[in-house]
Amino acid sequence: MNILLNDNFDLKTYITNGGYNALKKSFTLKPEEIIEEVKKSGLRGRGGAGFPTGLKWSFIPKTKTQKYIVCNSDESEPGTFKDREIIHKNPHSIIEGMIIAGYAIGASKGYFYIRGEFAREARIMEKSIYEAKEAGYLGKNILKSGFDFDIVVVRGAGAYICGEETALLESIEGKQGKPRIKPPFPAVKGLYGCPTVINNVETLASVPYIVIYGGENYSKIGVEKSSGTKLFSVSGPVKKPGVYEIPLGLSFKTFFYDWLGGMKEGEELKAVIPGGSSVPVITAEEAMNTKLDYESLQKIGTMLGSGGMIIIPKSQCMVELLYVLARFYHHESCGQCTPCREGSGWIEKTLNKILNYKAKKQDLDLIVDISNNMMGRTICPLADALAMPVISFVQKFREEFESHIEGNCKICGK
Amino acid sequence: MPKVIIDGKEFIAKENETVLNVAERNGIYIPRYCYHPALSIAGNCRMCLVEIEKMPKLQIACATTVTDGMVIHTQTEKVKKARQDVLEFLLLNHPLDCPICDQVGECYLQDYYMEYGLKKSRIDLKDKNRKPKRRDIGKHLILDNERCILCTRCVRFCEEVTKTSELFINSRGDHSFIDIKTEEKLDNDYSLNIADICPVGAFTSKDFRFKERVYRLSSTSSICLSCATGCKIKVQHNNGKIYRILPDPNIYTNTWICDNGRMSYKITAGPDRLTKSIIKSEEHHLNKAIIKLFDILKEAKEKNLKIAILLSDYLSIEDNFALYYLGFEILKTDLIYASKEKEQKIEDGILINKDKTPNSNAVSQISKLYGIKKYEDLKDCDLLIGFYDDIEKLNIPKNKSVALSYKADKEYDNLIAIKTYFETEGSFINWQYFLRKTAPSVSAPTDTISVYDLCLKISELFGYYPKEKELNKIFNELKYKTED
Repeated sequence: MNILLNDNFDLKTYITNGGYNALKKSFTLKPEEIIEEVKKSGLRGRGGAGFPTGLKWSFIPKTKTQKYIVCNSDESEPGTFKDREIIHKNPHSIIEGMIIAGYAIGASKGYFYIRGEFAREARIMEKSIYEAKEAGYLGKNILKSGFDFDIVVVRGAGAYICGEETALLESIEGKQGKPRIKPPFPAVKGLYGCPTVINNVETLASVPYIVIYGGENYSKIGVEKSSGTKLFSVSGPVKKPGVYEIPLGLSFKTFFYDWLGGMKEGEELKAVIPGGSSVPVITAEEAMNTKLDYESLQKIGTMLGSGGMIIIPKSQCMVELLYVLARFYHHESCGQCTPCREGSGWIEKTLNKILNYKAKKQDLDLIVDISNNMMGRTICPLADALAMPVISFVQKFREEFESHIEGNCKICGK
Repeated sequence: MPKVIIDGKEFIAKENETVLNVAERNGIYIPRYCYHPALSIAGNCRMCLVEIEKMPKLQIACATTVTDGMVIHTQTEKVKKARQDVLEFLLLNHPLDCPICDQVGECYLQDYYMEYGLKKSRIDLKDKNRKPKRRDIGKHLILDNERCILCTRCVRFCEEVTKTSELFINSRGDHSFIDIKTEEKLDNDYSLNIADICPVGAFTSKDFRFKERVYRLSSTSSICLSCATGCKIKVQHNNGKIYRILPDPNIYTNTWICDNGRMSYKITAGPDRLTKSIIKSEEHHLNKAIIKLFDILKEAKEKNLKIAILLSDYLSIEDNFALYYLGFEILKTDLIYASKEKEQKIEDGILINKDKTPNSNAVSQISKLYGIKKYEDLKDCDLLIGFYDDIEKLNIPKNKSVALSYKADKEYDNLIAIKTYFETEGSFINWQYFLRKTAPSVSAPTDTISVYDLCLKISELFGYYPKEKELNKIFNELKYKTED
């Protein structure tokens, strides 16, 4: 990617460095050939769920009806800020990826759904789309291929839940962002009832590379079932926090010491949330022995998620941290399904008591019980996104929670 | 046809049928809040979770379509635990004041608590969320947001049935609450159905709340006479008093009923209910009133005065034919009139008919069969017997009339207190040509009489004893459908 170039967001820079060549190449291929290449590449959804992208595209019926491609840029998970970086530094790669995806599935219209708080980023995208249109990469009969495609930028209104693909569709349609029951899946009945593919920014930005170099070459990067590169947005007291593109399968140890430079002076690693705030936390020891790819992380009971890596030092009270997360998920629950609506608030209230030394002994088991009762019983995974951290935090750092109940937390000293 | 196994028994399902529907059709009840057979699927309450083999998570029965060979369990420990947990979540912020709630006896929370809950609350009372209470949300409804479980049945009803979309869910998460979109009130013509479909005590009817406990009510199936649609209803009453009317959902005519129809029971016990007949401006007990009326008719007949009889679209087939019989056979008058045929159609696309009378389909048939004149032809008469509402509309001098009425009206010299159709039987033919009968649900005031009995009694005083067969022959001549 062109992230490190100057004026990297400019169309001129993008074209000088081979931009839109993938699009030109795409028009020499049949749509199904592109889908085949993407399937071969092993590219998996970079938004968090890791669903194979090529497979997702192939679910779109081959009818002549209106179809849509939607780019999910509602990046709002605490700890995740990778898509923003792509928008800042390489917006045309997203646009090119969207056009190719549109061509592959037969969609003539794309929606770029961007998080409400990303005001500057929305302007960048609008400017870039304008540039691309002026240059003939968007609009009618693109590059004389006979293919029409347009992109509309839609700004969210600040709801985390709109990152869930069906809530996002509701939001574009002007309704409250509440996830839909699946099935039907968006590939069958999506935006305005039409077949729709929803891909993450990073996923679509990877598509031009795959088209240029071929799926097989892409799949050589990374490890077997986790091919390609992945952006990690690292926050916490490491020497060099930021956004990194790493080949999947890299060991955490190497990443931590060689790329991030280890912890800041005076800090010691306690735990890691590897893939955004909704995935289970792992201890320093577990982290040091794992590799950063979908399967390795799954094996130790967590997930790669969105790649929003949060490094937690020993000086951080886990109760305080979990309370912040619980408050976030409580605030962001759409309130549709009973377990999530009621459970998220209940967990926050109980954690607040634990944090402030007002809890009873049984309250610790209570929050785990509430979490278990929420898990897997809702329309979308937001309930799980709160339940999983709660369960893993309490399981792995129980003594810190107990010290809060007993009234002597040495870390936060509250 | 897919075959499925539910709780060990094999059933044949229809194509695209949901698990909940297959189970229900075969007598297996799956608890639910948000599911309603006449509304779209919301899938939000999570009460109907069931275990389906080969699926890792529990699935909601209301939204899961069956596939051939599906094996479903509705009674496993896992399912019961899930129901118990969902119920705990629903009751978490719910007030614990059942004794003062009007939903008692028909509350899904209470019912399922007895079956799945029976657990003590694990939240401190002071930690419960507070929400607006006793909101005057419309002409007929009170909304208690604290009792609401956000199943969205009411929202979907206003969107899908009345298409008025007054309601929506305001805010998010556990602070979300049902709210009204505009400054206006929720008063579409069907608003009281919301109180019915609300599974908890959130929406209650202003007319009914706190008047009577529902478990003390008896139900009588009858029909609504507010318009030609003739919806099937359940009249609920206790100790001789009607408290409310509910729809009796059926595939032929109606799932809902309109608010107007629901309030129609008020004629039985309103302050202006006529409980004693008035003859020559004097109140009389029933028997005396009949004799006085007979005297008037006898005198008129002897003097050869012009006596007119009005058949009525508001009265039953039996009553109309008895009136016709009285006029034609006893009083020997040919001044018998009926209204002209009315245009019948559902005017609001839901239930309310353009024809606001319940029986014009039968009366127009009787008119044709017996060559009865139209109201417009009524020019002159010395004495007229007819139903109060018709006389009112026709502008006939009130001193010349004997009005058959439920309603007291001081302007009339002669009013016969008749029974309402909540108090007596009567047959009606609705706009779809269905023949349906009302059923008495409460007893009428002592000094009232049905029109049929009145005509019979007068005939007897004139020395005629018509056989029931003679009066019922009309049913052989009318065109109608029955529901089976």
